[in-house]
Amino acid sequence: MFENALQVASLVLQDASSGPAITSTGMAALAVGLAGLGAGYAERGIGSAAVGAVAEDEDLFVQALILTVLPETILIFALVAMILA
Amino acid sequence: MSATGSSNPEYVNARVSARRATLFDEEDYRKLLRMSPDEISRYMEESTYQGPINRLGSRFSGVDLIEYALNAGLAETFDELLAWADGRLYEQVARYLRKFDAWNVKTAVRGIYAGTDPDAVEDDLIRAGEFDDALLDRLVEAEGVDEIVDLLDGTIFGDPLAAAAEEYDESGMLVPLENAIDRAYYENLFEGVTSAGGAGPESAYAEYLQAEIDFRNVRNALRLARSGAEVDPAEYFIEGGTLFTPEELSTLSRNPDQLVEHIRESRYGDELSAALDEMAEADSLIGFEHAIEAALVEHARNAGHAHPMSVCPVIAFVLAKEREADNIRAIARGTEAGLDPEEIRAELVVQ
Repeated sequence: MFENALQVASLVLQDASSGPAITSTGMAALAVGLAGLGAGYAERGIGSAAVGAVAEDEDLFVQALILTVLPETILIFALVAMILA
Repeated sequence: MSATGSSNPEYVNARVSARRATLFDEEDYRKLLRMSPDEISRYMEESTYQGPINRLGSRFSGVDLIEYALNAGLAETFDELLAWADGRLYEQVARYLRKFDAWNVKTAVRGIYAGTDPDAVEDDLIRAGEFDDALLDRLVEAEGVDEIVDLLDGTIFGDPLAAAAEEYDESGMLVPLENAIDRAYYENLFEGVTSAGGAGPESAYAEYLQAEIDFRNVRNALRLARSGAEVDPAEYFIEGGTLFTPEELSTLSRNPDQLVEHIRESRYGDELSAALDEMAEADSLIGFEHAIEAALVEHARNAGHAHPMSVCPVIAFVLAKEREADNIRAIARGTEAGLDPEEIRAELVVQ
């Protein structure tokens, strides 16, 4: 499998020289994806605390909902990056 | 729920802080102090004790109703804690709540020692630990210490209690049995907790546990020093604290002044200095013991504030809830005995 390694390497290098491996649109898509992951992780913690608080006192539902979706704001920045890219 | 899965401190601590807010505060106690036992139980009916009071209300009345409702309320609350928690948090809370298993076993042993009627012993159980109702019922109905040892075979209390039972047979004293139970509990508590010294939540918890053990040792030592009994306090010593070694404890307890000085110079000096002053002034242990309890609650609460994503807030809540039950009990019993409200107030541990 090593005999054609040189050919493969030159093929890869050729490809790279013709343009970036990930285009700026691709990068922007990655940004949206990572931002979504981050927001999801943040909401995991806030969400479970919010459910706990609402279980104890139903009046807290609105506040809990607002706090839970706050991390979504980071996705707005990701979308801006998407549009600019 | 179970010890599997990932731990969920966010959920549990949100619920725990909501529960903490519903605990009786200074204002409530002031109202309770002016009430008769029946009024107190009615007041409790409008609080978190509503379920137990309603359930037991048809069978009991007066101070008995309050007493049973408090025990049932504690058990209910702590069972809920276990139902909420998952993963490592569940494990830590469950280990801590074995305190009530230890209490129940002690109650059963004392009942046998004193030859108390099983029904009366059963009233004093707090069904909040890991033992199920069937096991507790059998413990209460056990005829002798050996039967209890057999029943507990396989639990954390099994082996230590079996060893202590031999000593009990020889000496006829309860002390070895109670010590064995305490030691088994605290040893089990430290398993899986990393040692103190770091700055993380785990070490804050370990530090809290050390404080609990140290305070218990201090209390035992002072009681012995005061009573002047010819018992070596090293026999009562519980391992795991940082304040004393067993040898230190036995020398210090012969000399109360040195003991007080030792505590003042330790890391609990700041927390306990007011209590020590009070003890020196009033020449009474009661005030000091209340101050120790208050300091412990305070310690747990600080740890909970510093590490909100750990087991600390739950432990702080457990302690505060226990104090609440103790306070209500003191008020109810005191009022029934016709004590002056000011005297009862001095018995309360309010933070």
